[in-house]
Parts: sequence; C-alpha cells; structure tokens
Amino acid sequence: MFAGTGRREWSKEAKRVVACMGSQRIIGGGLGLSEAGPSTHHHHHVPSYGVLHGINTANPSTLINEGHAFNFGELEEAIVLQGVKARNDEGKAPLFTTAPRPAATLEMFPSWPIRFHQTSRGGSKSGGESTDSALSTKTEPPFEAESPMSKKATTPSLDHQHQLQHDHHDASRIVGPSSSPQNQSQAKSPHEKRKGAGSTSEKPLDAKTLRRLAQNREAARKSRLRKKAYVQQLESSRLKLTQLEQDLQRARSQGLFMDCGGVGGNLSSGGAMFDLEYGRWLEEEQRLMGELRNGVQAAVSEGEMRGIVDGYLSHYDELFRLKSVAAKSDVFHLINGMWTSQAERCFLWIGGFKPSDLITMLIQQLEPLAEQQIMGMYGLRHSSQQAEDALSQGLDQLQQSLVDTIAGGPIVDGVQQMVVAMGKLANLEGFVRQADNLRQQTLHQLCRLLTVRQAARCFIVIGEYYGRLRALSSLWASRPRETLMSDDNSCQTTTDLQMVHPSHHQNHFPSF
Amino acid sequence: MHYQTASWGNYVAASRNNGMVGVGVDPLERIERLASENAVVIFSISSCCMCHAIKRLFCGMGVNPAVHELDEDPLGKDLERALIRLLGTSSVVPVVFIGGKLVGTMDRVMACHINGTLVPLLKEAGALWL
Repeated sequence: MFAGTGRREWSKEAKRVVACMGSQRIIGGGLGLSEAGPSTHHHHHVPSYGVLHGINTANPSTLINEGHAFNFGELEEAIVLQGVKARNDEGKAPLFTTAPRPAATLEMFPSWPIRFHQTSRGGSKSGGESTDSALSTKTEPPFEAESPMSKKATTPSLDHQHQLQHDHHDASRIVGPSSSPQNQSQAKSPHEKRKGAGSTSEKPLDAKTLRRLAQNREAARKSRLRKKAYVQQLESSRLKLTQLEQDLQRARSQGLFMDCGGVGGNLSSGGAMFDLEYGRWLEEEQRLMGELRNGVQAAVSEGEMRGIVDGYLSHYDELFRLKSVAAKSDVFHLINGMWTSQAERCFLWIGGFKPSDLITMLIQQLEPLAEQQIMGMYGLRHSSQQAEDALSQGLDQLQQSLVDTIAGGPIVDGVQQMVVAMGKLANLEGFVRQADNLRQQTLHQLCRLLTVRQAARCFIVIGEYYGRLRALSSLWASRPRETLMSDDNSCQTTTDLQMVHPSHHQNHFPSF
Repeated sequence: MHYQTASWGNYVAASRNNGMVGVGVDPLERIERLASENAVVIFSISSCCMCHAIKRLFCGMGVNPAVHELDEDPLGKDLERALIRLLGTSSVVPVVFIGGKLVGTMDRVMACHINGTLVPLLKEAGALWL
C-alpha cells in the first residue's frame, strides 16, 4: 500500500499529505472531524477511519514515515486493538498522562522514539494550561476526552475555536516527522473516543468521562456551527465586494468618480446613493438611445415612435425625481456636480445643464425645421433665458445674504448667526428644484414643438451630445501626462488622443 | 367679485382705517381684494430669495408687478396662513396673481412661461404691451 521510498521523497510527500490534511481540517478534535473538507465528509460516520482514508485519497503514496516501510493495515488493526484496550482500561488511570499509557501507545509504534510522542503530549498538556498556545490546541481535544484528570479547567469549546484559527498554522508547522505521531495518535484517539461514546456494549463508562465526552460533542457541534456561520459571512461579504467592484468599475468607466480628494470625505450617503442611481440611470439611458436609433433607422410607425419618445422623456422625468430626492439629503453634492463627468461639470448651472444652451445646440443640429418650429424654438430659448437669469439672480442674492450673515455680526451671537445661515442655506434646495423644474419643462415643451420623428432625432442629438461630453471627460482623465513636459506638448497630446480615439469610444461617435 | 359688493361696507371701513381692520375682514377676502387691484400681484417676503428671483423674472419681461411684502404687513401672518390654506403647500411665497386670478408659486409660473401661456395671460391682464 504505502511503499516506503527514500527519505527525501517521503519528506516531500509528507509535506503534501500534511498540507492536504491541514486543508481538509482533518487535524481536528474528535467529532470535529465531521467538519473536515469536502473530500472527507463522506467519511462522516467513520471519523477515525476518515482520517486515514482521507490520507488515502489525498495521497496514495507514502504516509509520514521515519524511513521505515509502514503497513497501514497494521496501523488500523493496532488502533482497533488499542481502542478495545482503552475500554478495558477505562476505569483505571488516565490514558496518556501516566507511564503505562505511553508504553501501550509505544507498543503500536515501536519504531518511533519516545521523545516525539512526549513532545506531542507535552504540547497538549501545556496547551491544556494555556489555551492560546498554537501547538497545543490542535492536539488538545482528543487527549482531553480520554484523560479526565489530565487537564485543568480548559474548555473544549475554546480549543476548538483556536483550532479553527490555527488549522492552517498547524498545517504549516507540522512538516516534519514529529507530526506523524500526533496525527496518528489523534487518529487513534478520536476513534477511541467515538468508540467510547458510541459503544453501549462495552463496560459502563465513568461518569466524568461521559460528561467530558458530551462536552466535547457539544463543543465540536458549536464550533461546526460557528464555522458555518463564518463561512456564510465570508461568502456574503465576497458577493458584496464583487458587486461594489462592479459598480465602481461602471462608475469609473463613465468618468464619474474623479479624484474626490478633499470632498471625498464629505460624500454623504445621500450623495453616494444618488451616484449609484445615476449610474444605473445612465445605463438605462444608453439602452433607450439604442431604441431611439433603431426606431429612426427602421422607420417604425408613428405610434410606436411616439411610445419610444415618451419613454425617453419619462426617463428624464425619473432623473429629475431622483435629483429632487437627492437635493433633500445632500444639495451640495448636486450643486458641485461631482455626480457628473468633468466636461459636463464645466458647463454646470445650478446642479445640471443650462436649458438655453441645449436649445441653442439643438437649433443648429436639427436643421431642417419648419418656420413655425424654428420660431417656437427661438421663443423657447428666450423664455428659458429669462427664467435662468431670474433664478441666477435669486441665487446671487442668496449668496450675498449668506455672506452678510456669516461675515457680519458680533462673535457673541455666533450660534444665532449659524442658525440664520443654516436657514438661508436651506433655500438652496429650492433653487436646485426650480432649476430642475425648468429643465424638465423645457424638454417637455421641445416634444410639443416638434413632430414625433423630429422629437426622436432631437433626443438622439441630446443623448449623443452628453455621451460625447462624458467620453471627452474620460479621455481627458486618461490622457498621457508625460508629454505635457515637452514644448510642443499640444501636438503630442492631440496625436496621442488621435491614436487612442479609434480604439475606444467608437460607439460614442456614430453618425446620425 | 361678488365678495366686494357684499362686503362693500367693510371695504370702505377698512380703507378708512388704513390697515386698522377689525376681525370683520377675512384674510382671504383681503387677498382677493389685493389681487384684483393690479394686473400682476405678488405676495412675497422681503428676505426670501426666491421672491427676489420672481420679481426679477417679471421685471426682466418688462412687467411692473405690485408686490406685497407679508413681513411688512401688520396682518401678514394671517395672510400667510390664508395663502397656505389656499395653495395647500407650506412654502407659500412667492404667490402670483395675474388679472385677479391665482397663477401659483414659482413652479407654476415658470412652467407657464416655458409652455408659452404666461405672456398671453399678461397681455390679457394688460400688464404687457406687445
């Protein structure tokens, strides 16, 4: 079965076996074997044999051996015999702490020097006293079970806990011949323990031992449950992490999360929430843009086109609704435009686009328009400009009033000053709401002025325009900075941009 | 309009007392009366910035609105309460009446302006010429 090979080879294999064992959590106390890894859980009912079989399946070659050929079958026999012997000796002295026991154990493994065995037990003994000893903890429980007198007050549950933590630690530690006696004595003792616990046909067990066995079972079960909970927690955290990474990736690719730097700390949950929602809104907007383009190219029916156009319009309504919610929790986030791309931020007006600028752009792009429609567009631009001026002046007055409140007044009245200032700041939300209202009304009016197909083209232009601004922002953010050091830097950066351009963002520049 | 004829006596008394109105004058009535005095009437608060914005809007259009500052009126609080009941919102100023009829707060005024109904309304009330 296990052919003895040269020393070097077996040590390598020993490490492998031990690593397998460690990872399979075979190094566990008694019934804790049932929490061993997937490859051994089918050995649940035969824990002790499970260890051995685990080793079997993991590495069919040499078990840890001091260099002598080893008959595993003999070992199994010996273990069974030992178990029987243990039952017979139950009423007498504790199993492993007195001299006779070690001698009995040594009978099984005649080739191993006594000192290895003693260190393992010595370790376990010391582990009994100090539960945070790494070496001891893994050997603790089996001995604990068998020797009622051996340990002072150490609770098996604690040991199991440390065991879980130190499992890998142990695997890395036991890379030598000294591990084998521990493994096999552990292999032996769980078997014994199990036999002790399960057998009713044997001699009646000592009450103390029974209690200890029960405690161990309890501890093992608790640690199994703990492990399960921990693993579940890890799994859910992992899922959350991947989700967050995806969101972040998406946001970054749209050039949203530029270096927040100083404002990063001020990013409230309302603002962060809005950023996420805006990211999703953008994705949906891209999808609707696709629908619009398809509708125009495929020349769908009027009714269907009307549906698509209305869908796009209500998507913008949704954005304004999201913004009004966000304005309540974090109006500064909307006003400073950190939720939008850099190029869009450049043209920001009270937390969004300026309607009159958009209409100016549209008048140029939607060239073949009827006279009446052109007049309507100019009229819309005019009204929008008037409303924008009014709001801007109102905002200026708010700023002035705020400055007067903060700067003026005696220091004594500080708190009152702040209260007044806070009251004035609250008006900001109103201005953002009115600005969004203006944007919303402008878009709706555009739809009324134009025919369905013109409206579709209009929305495609709008979507394209902002898509290009976002693309420009991300290109700008990723532009090569080293070239800025040279004299003819402008030429170089342009070239780089041109080189970059064909490869990315092709979908942002289709002709329409 | 029929309110005025019915409470003519009250109105005369009020105008004589010049603000020393008794409990007889309903604030809502007073609002209606004030609203019908001019083509464009704005109820505002002097420290409110949105009111400033709406004033600038009308002035920018060439309209000369009559502004009633509620914080400068001794019975301003009553009027404010009546306006709140009328409109159903807590942030009530600025409120705009054109030709004696209620238009609404900033939302409505801007929406009307954008969809092109504000200017005809102003012309009809005689606040705008051409």
